Amino acid sequence: MVKFKNITKTFGSVSALKDISFEVEKGEFVFITGRSGSGKTTILKLILKEILPDSGKIIFGNQDIEKISEKELPLYRRKIGCVFQDFKVLPEKTVRENIQIALAAIGAPEDKWENRIDEVLKAAEIEQRADFFPSQLSGGELQRVSFARALVVEPELILADEPTGNLDWDTAKGMMDLFEKISREGITVIMATHNSLIIDKIKKREIKLK
Amino acid sequence: MNFHLKTALSSLRRAPFQALAAIFVLTITFFVGTALAVLIYSSSRALSYFETRPQVIAFIKEGSGVEAIASLQNKLSADTRIKDVRYVSKEEALSIYKEATSDNPLLSELVSPSIFPASLEFSLSDLSFTEDVIKEMKSEDLVDSVGFTASLGGEKTLDDVVSRLRKITYYVRLGGGIFAGVLLGTSFMVLMIIISMRMIARKDEIEILKLIGAKSGFIRSPIMIEAVVYSLIGVFVGWLLTLILVLYIAPWVISYFGQIPVLPREPVVFFALFGIILSAEILMGVLLALGGSSLVLTRARRKK
Repeated sequence: MVKFKNITKTFGSVSALKDISFEVEKGEFVFITGRSGSGKTTILKLILKEILPDSGKIIFGNQDIEKISEKELPLYRRKIGCVFQDFKVLPEKTVRENIQIALAAIGAPEDKWENRIDEVLKAAEIEQRADFFPSQLSGGELQRVSFARALVVEPELILADEPTGNLDWDTAKGMMDLFEKISREGITVIMATHNSLIIDKIKKREIKLK
Repeated sequence: MNFHLKTALSSLRRAPFQALAAIFVLTITFFVGTALAVLIYSSSRALSYFETRPQVIAFIKEGSGVEAIASLQNKLSADTRIKDVRYVSKEEALSIYKEATSDNPLLSELVSPSIFPASLEFSLSDLSFTEDVIKEMKSEDLVDSVGFTASLGGEKTLDDVVSRLRKITYYVRLGGGIFAGVLLGTSFMVLMIIISMRMIARKDEIEILKLIGAKSGFIRSPIMIEAVVYSLIGVFVGWLLTLILVLYIAPWVISYFGQIPVLPREPVVFFALFGIILSAEILMGVLLALGGSSLVLTRARRKK
């Protein structure tokens, strides 16, 4: 599903990734691990085409993502759901509205919004908080909102950047259960983390960056 | 309600002072714009009023036959330089005189129709033809003498009045145009600054929208709608203030200018004039908002 072929990326004089190659199969759950600054987030940004590699090729499905034009980029990104360490939820919108905006952005028909939102709120186990504002939620609940927003667009791939980084162990375990659940449903998950407890618990393939 | 309109309105509510600043500047612009439009209309109407007054009066020789007069009238009517030819009989001339001296009945009692010559009155399609037409009229056998209406505001000829009005109209248009241009430019800049500030405030939201696959049209729409909302409110309030002001001063203006139709007297025409101004301003406001917001969005995209 995702192929990295000899990817090198530098930021000024700092080398973030050097000749990296790996492959992630469809439906697979993969951890990208490594110390801070090893390039975990850079890999996720490269997949999202937020940045471009200096050399090498990234293939998503059968598509060389370097060849995706500015105009096609939104359509490409709709295949990917993102869960961030800092949640990236909109503070002025309720939980329901935060999820709704993802559906509006992809142009989903309005009459289908409510049902789909209810489904993902249930999947993320935050249906009781639907009309709450982010300031009224805990860190774990905010991460579930971020998860629900990523899931609502029915992505082929979920990218998670340190999704448990700001959570306590019990809350993190709950989050990981959600990721495992969607992985079992066939959605590919690539998760960047340095949380060894999580990696030990889930026991999935690990791509270690040095 | 449309999703983008809802987003735009909620964004407007979140920063009421920025919204008020933009609306206030746009209101001033369109208030002045509407007032200038009315002023240009009034000066044009006054100019047209004077331009279409009977300018030349050809006094007919005593004893001229009706057929000869009618033939001359037809000849004048066929001349493209001449318009609104009217025959004024001795009796009509007397009644005009009586009307003009109505405040002193003694003056009108002393005269009889016989002392007034019949005349052919007409105006010219362009005042540059005056000299030639007067010369030609003087050479007509039927014509005793030729008069040229004048003496308005101390000017020697109607030509002076018209040229003075033309000058005034020109300066109203030029000065008004420059002033309106400066105000429009200022509004444009203020609108751009406010939109830039709104974009900075929504930076995180825009970043999230891009990551979840929103097309640029989806991201741009609420920003552009917000600018259009500012503009439309500014247009409407500015226009309404001018309408109220003009309605308030209209009785005084109409009585001061008398017969000169500087403002429409029929309510339908009056409101039609304001309707046309409002339509033009709505179009201008929308273009201003779309132009300003597009420029800001394009610049933001280039900076990235």
